[in-house]
Amino acid sequence: MGWIGEIDLGTKPMPVTGPLVSLTIDGQPVDVPAGTSIMRAAALMGTNIPKLCATDTLESFGSCRICLVEIDGRAGYPASCTTPVTPGMVVRTQTDKLAKLRKGVMELYISDHPLDCLTCSANGDCELQDQAGAVGLRDVRYGYDGANHLDAAKDESNPYFTFDPAKCIVCSRCVRACDEVQGTLALTVDGRGFSSHIAASQDEDFLSSECVSCGACVQACPTSALIEKEVIKVGTPDKAVITTCAYCGVGCTFRAEMRGEQLVRMVPWKDGKANRGHSCVKGRFAWGYANHKERILNPMIRASVHEPWREVSWEEAIAHTASEFRRIQSTYGTRAVGGITSSRCTNEETFLVQKLIRQGFGNNNVDTCARVCHSPTGYGLKTTFGTSAGTQDFDSVQHSDVILVIGANPTDGHPVFASRMKRRLRQGAKLIVIDPRRTDLVRSPHIEAAHHLSLRPGTNVAVLTAMAHVIVTEGLFDEAYIRERCDWDEYEDWAAFVSEDHRSPEASAEITGVDPDELRKAARLYATGGNGAIYYGLGVTEHSQGSSTVMAIANLAMATGNVGREGVGVNPLRGQNNVQGACDMGSFPHEFSGYRHVSDPEARAMFEDAWGVPLDDEPGLRIPNMLDAATDGAFKALFIQGEDILQSDPNTAHVAAGLAAMECVVVQDLFLNETANYAHVFLPGSTFLEKDGTFTNAERRIQRVRKVMSPLNGFADWEIVQMVAQAMGLGWNYTHPSEIMDEIAALTPSFANVHYDALEEHGSLQWPATAAAPLGTPTMHLDGFVRGKGRFVVTDYVATDEKTGPRFPLLLTTGRILSHYNVGAQTRRTDNVAWHPEDLLEIHPHDAENRGLHDGQWVSLRSRAGETTLRALVTERVAPGVVYTTFHHPTTQANVITTDFSDWATNCPEYKVTAVQVSPSNGPSDWQESYEAQAKRSRRIEPRLEPAE
Amino acid sequence: MTRAYISCDMASVALGADDIAEALTAAGCTVIRTGARGLFAIEPLVEIETTDGARIAYGPVEPEDVPAILDDTHPNRIGDLATLPFFAKQQRFTFARCGITDPLSMADYTAHDGWKGLAAARALPPQAVVDAVKASGLRGRGGAGFPTGIKWQTVLDAASPEKFIVCNADEGDSGTFADRMLMEGDPYCLLEGMAIAGHAVGASHGYIYVRSEYPFAIRALNAAIERAGPILAPFTVEVRVGAGAYVCGEETALLESIEGKRGQVRAKPPLPAIQGLFGQPTVINNVLSLAAIPFILAEGPERYAEVGFSRSRGTMPVQLAGNVKNGGLFEIGFGITLGELVNDIGGGTESGRPVRAVQVGGPLGAYFPPSMFDLAFDYEAFAAAGGLIGHAGITVFDDTVDMAAMARFAMEFCAVESCGKCTPCRIGSTRGVETLDRIIGDRIKGAAQREQALEAMPQMRNAKVKHRSVDEEIGVLRDLCETMKFGSLCALGGFTPYPVLSALDHFPEDFGGARALPQAAE
Amino acid sequence: MIPDDLDTIVGRLAERFSAQRGALLPLLHAIQEEVGWVPDAATPLGARALNLSRAEVHGVVTFYHDFRREPAGRHVVKLCLAEACKARGVGAIEAALADRLGVGIDKTRADGQVSFEAVYCLGLCATGPNALVDDRPVSRLDARKVDRIVAQVSA
Repeated sequence: MGWIGEIDLGTKPMPVTGPLVSLTIDGQPVDVPAGTSIMRAAALMGTNIPKLCATDTLESFGSCRICLVEIDGRAGYPASCTTPVTPGMVVRTQTDKLAKLRKGVMELYISDHPLDCLTCSANGDCELQDQAGAVGLRDVRYGYDGANHLDAAKDESNPYFTFDPAKCIVCSRCVRACDEVQGTLALTVDGRGFSSHIAASQDEDFLSSECVSCGACVQACPTSALIEKEVIKVGTPDKAVITTCAYCGVGCTFRAEMRGEQLVRMVPWKDGKANRGHSCVKGRFAWGYANHKERILNPMIRASVHEPWREVSWEEAIAHTASEFRRIQSTYGTRAVGGITSSRCTNEETFLVQKLIRQGFGNNNVDTCARVCHSPTGYGLKTTFGTSAGTQDFDSVQHSDVILVIGANPTDGHPVFASRMKRRLRQGAKLIVIDPRRTDLVRSPHIEAAHHLSLRPGTNVAVLTAMAHVIVTEGLFDEAYIRERCDWDEYEDWAAFVSEDHRSPEASAEITGVDPDELRKAARLYATGGNGAIYYGLGVTEHSQGSSTVMAIANLAMATGNVGREGVGVNPLRGQNNVQGACDMGSFPHEFSGYRHVSDPEARAMFEDAWGVPLDDEPGLRIPNMLDAATDGAFKALFIQGEDILQSDPNTAHVAAGLAAMECVVVQDLFLNETANYAHVFLPGSTFLEKDGTFTNAERRIQRVRKVMSPLNGFADWEIVQMVAQAMGLGWNYTHPSEIMDEIAALTPSFANVHYDALEEHGSLQWPATAAAPLGTPTMHLDGFVRGKGRFVVTDYVATDEKTGPRFPLLLTTGRILSHYNVGAQTRRTDNVAWHPEDLLEIHPHDAENRGLHDGQWVSLRSRAGETTLRALVTERVAPGVVYTTFHHPTTQANVITTDFSDWATNCPEYKVTAVQVSPSNGPSDWQESYEAQAKRSRRIEPRLEPAE
Repeated sequence: MTRAYISCDMASVALGADDIAEALTAAGCTVIRTGARGLFAIEPLVEIETTDGARIAYGPVEPEDVPAILDDTHPNRIGDLATLPFFAKQQRFTFARCGITDPLSMADYTAHDGWKGLAAARALPPQAVVDAVKASGLRGRGGAGFPTGIKWQTVLDAASPEKFIVCNADEGDSGTFADRMLMEGDPYCLLEGMAIAGHAVGASHGYIYVRSEYPFAIRALNAAIERAGPILAPFTVEVRVGAGAYVCGEETALLESIEGKRGQVRAKPPLPAIQGLFGQPTVINNVLSLAAIPFILAEGPERYAEVGFSRSRGTMPVQLAGNVKNGGLFEIGFGITLGELVNDIGGGTESGRPVRAVQVGGPLGAYFPPSMFDLAFDYEAFAAAGGLIGHAGITVFDDTVDMAAMARFAMEFCAVESCGKCTPCRIGSTRGVETLDRIIGDRIKGAAQREQALEAMPQMRNAKVKHRSVDEEIGVLRDLCETMKFGSLCALGGFTPYPVLSALDHFPEDFGGARALPQAAE
Repeated sequence: MIPDDLDTIVGRLAERFSAQRGALLPLLHAIQEEVGWVPDAATPLGARALNLSRAEVHGVVTFYHDFRREPAGRHVVKLCLAEACKARGVGAIEAALADRLGVGIDKTRADGQVSFEAVYCLGLCATGPNALVDDRPVSRLDARKVDRIVAQVSA
């Protein structure tokens, strides 16, 4: 703890490409890389040249003119931020002349600035204030009644920050941050000269502008012109803790800035290797759910879901849980119970839950939400490359020449990484998008895909195979690479397979709906455009052929030599903050941590030795199998940590039936989520702000989560699991999550060097971190594939059984939106609802017109699985024949519609393809109304009676 | 049929040349529109071709004068223009054709030595062309006076698949019109210069950025580009039109503007020669610099360099403007004195009153009193005298001028045209106007009201009101000028102090009249 | 005032400049030439056509004095107020025009008949004072020419 003030070196670092440049600043010698600014060189030796428009996250700009210096042999007073060092340069940063000039400039600034420092919300945290002091301004001789901007109206439209133009010094840091860092270009300077002022879009309020509320502008502002409302309310923070965001799989590092015990703001940390100082509206601002009034802080139990909840003590809740699981196992057998680990909890907590199941329950009935998102990634990449993870770090994209995005919408789902990608695209990298929707990446300011293959949902494999057809038949494959790195025989089999005429772009166009010419061009570009990198998301995995698609992607990358160095690779964009970690930690029914099969005697022996019990060598049940088994009466109790399967898993009615058939459902969560409507025990969870641990992001980066405040519910989640384990008679005795990580490291070869002291020292580690690679592995498969030879797998296109027809003529595909996260449990309980208060059904104007639908109208959405209603958004973002919605709001319950078709290899549900019909409607469906009523009934809580002493 | 020559230059048209051309046509003449000769005191000017091919000039004339012109009885008969001292004294290298030829006639251009420079350049390797430009001693005619050859060398040496030639035709300085005259009167000359530059540095595309206030030049250039396309090829040229922003005459703001952005000044480095338009190495030269190139290549750099003075080689098309009798364009080798230009060539003021001040180099140039008229026209000499040649415009004022008002105007112009990027210019220019208002006393009434308002406040009843003297206000103004001069990002804010300080230094009597003002309470 | 088919107009004009790099200024000039001004409603259309943000287009529209965000008067008189014209007595001409036109500099008369605007240099600096009257240049302004201008823009 303590205030971790970040040092701003003023300008960006320069890579060391040759000998250092030696110069003299204020008589002191200093050596810096060529290209470094004088300002940065001075800052590195501890001399802070006054500055206002410069900050080391942005390109130097040279507008404020207070960083002027004198250089021997050079006329005038160059700005130190825009002047690079040269060998032998002699610089003076403090002379009488410079002092006078700086004071003169500062006098101008202050002549148009309110003199309200004492009552200003940035008092003490304001660069203008600091610099006015630093240059010794004492007097403004122009007076204060000249032209000014002091009466400019404040913009409070954004829920999280205000813009007060009266405090603005027009340094353009906000504009530049929006352009350079975020890439939205939502801000500009309106007018020119003295009347210049910062404007959002067309000088409108921030909320209605193009602003996506990433916070980069607020972060960049040197005054209180752009400032968090929470700082205005609470005051400036006085201490900070570095921690990791708990939203998406990017894994941004934040400084949680506190005032006392109160969290004031989350500020992206410059040294965070995943985010490099950037953030999005979720991580930056949407943390208010942690204190939301609906959060449950006391344990609760009930005998039946028809009864109201009864608040009980922790002791009672834990004891009840343990006795129920023991009772059920003794009645129905060892395998009648199981658990679900959470991709939102820490590695340590996830590890403990699967350990509880394997060691305590004595079976392998453990699964995780990766089942419904990235299980095909694990399967596909392990099969082809030998590792169940992406091949690159995020920095790698800066070296890509061609970026292929398939089934992913990073600007909404992974916005901070999307900004990095967009920066590279603005620098000239080429983009191919394979997606049924015209996502923002296809065309948004300064970004335009070279090729958008707008395929029919469910035909990924056919499109990728057609691309492979082009690459093989046109001789664009990298033979030397394949011969060296892959199994040539397998390649030849695959090449023969993809070369067959009926897999050509022309032949498959009827299936995929993709223009063959465009597809050919895209394939050529990927194969020959330099470093080719593939990024994909759930639009790849959540299909009946999810695993095939992942392997088809891997095939393409291997065939073109695009694995095993910077700038290339196969990169799954993981959904949840710790979905990679949850998979790594042995959350799957067939694998121990580090992806070792439970039938592997060597691996099993390792765990049996450590845990002192024999372990089941049979894979356990996956989530859908648990639910099936429950409806069949064979599966009776489920421990669910931090996941809302009722809302997130497909075919809601089926999930509900499975849960209803169980005798004991334990839900550990922050809120009474939808699944809790079917639960018997509710254990209040802790937020990421309330505990120590680690998350592993999409680039295999293990990062520390640090406790910012005490758990409101009393315990961190790992402590709660430990209490359950102890109540079940397991002799656990962890005093800190670091001890759990030590156990993980001891039992997981790829984590061998992962310890908290190493994480403290290096900030983060990318697994594998072993004796051979003690600092981790940013890029995988450098000298060869982990599995030995890269394996080409023949991926035949098999159409999904989900077919459109007269009853259900449209294809529904689902996804996410920027302001919300997953089932929305967190973001719906923040002001992010300002952007997206409800789920909408996107429908093409033609399809809307055919059905007499207009924008904003209530529509009924029906599939063979169910029906729901929501409002229509008529847009050309979706192709004719395709409709799209998000699944963030339980009132919509998009998963009532989705079917129980799933990936052939991993059971990952086919969320992305559902045949539906859309028709006008007057309001919520019967199902929605009855669900609403049932949920309300189920959420009744009887207050706890204070025990009489 | 009688051949009559009359200028289609915007200045001539503004004086009625079109009406006269119409009258001449109606009278049965074959009218040939040329560029302007450059002496506007005799405009509108008509030249009638004699049977032996000589031209007899008449001017100024009106449409109703046509019969008198045609029977050679007009009282404003000048005869052979070349014999007028204003023309006889000139060394017309760059403006040799201007006023003589039909600006858009390819035949005329070719007949008058056009394309010789381009042919000579294309026969040489790029480095040899750059060497020739270096040898000519040509320095940037836009104002900064940077050696053109060295700039070209930098671009030639920059390895890049794409480079650009950009012509800065954003001639915004009041008192200057040489670029406009050349673009309207001899556009092929500029295009030829650009094509030579393209060959010299390896650029295949050029832009001419013309201010929107020059519609005639825009039309002439577009027509010329269309006709000269085959000769220029493979080099291509495009005209881009400004949109009312003086600051876009600053080279980096100009590049931003061509890129379709706000005309905000970029910090240098990087130099445009290394990272210019669309991030590529770019030659950016003024119209006059590029228009000097064909002569240098056609006649040889020595021929160009043999005229001039000290390190300022070649000729400078000087523009005499404002209250001057013989206003116009006068191309001459460097070294002529300011007094010669104003009094001998210019003939003193048009009003007939004594010359009190001349401003050299546009709105950012210094004001000089006649006592400094022995100053030689030379980059270094002017810099040493606290001024600048700039684009060689000389604006003459007679003794009715109020120099404090001109100083205020300099600040006001800067405030109107500031791009708003750097603080000294953005805020300083407005504070400069306010400070000068206090000095001039325009706002004495406002100050009195302020004083009353303060006094009306109960807590101020007994506060001592401190008055600031004019000298103190001038001290504030001088400090502000220093902040702007040394602190500004570009020449707009950086040179605005020149007219202000020179007015203060040379005409202090115009600033002394204001009464002391109360200082605002702190 | 804003044409109903503004989106068609902007689309058509944008097409014309699609091959040009940095096409925003040419597009805005073309819009102003065709529509007479650049309505704020044209900004999102231009932004979409050129794949820029609305903010970028807005920043450019407001930077350059040429682009009108309000319609101009039926006639436009632009008077040069720069030094060379000042030296030749534009001060008196400005006062006379303001008086005779019934509108001060940089304003449009209430009846929309005439806009009277300042311009800084037309490059006619030896023959000032100068004006552009409905884009036609007029030099050596004097009382007689002021009369002519007033008559012309009153029609």
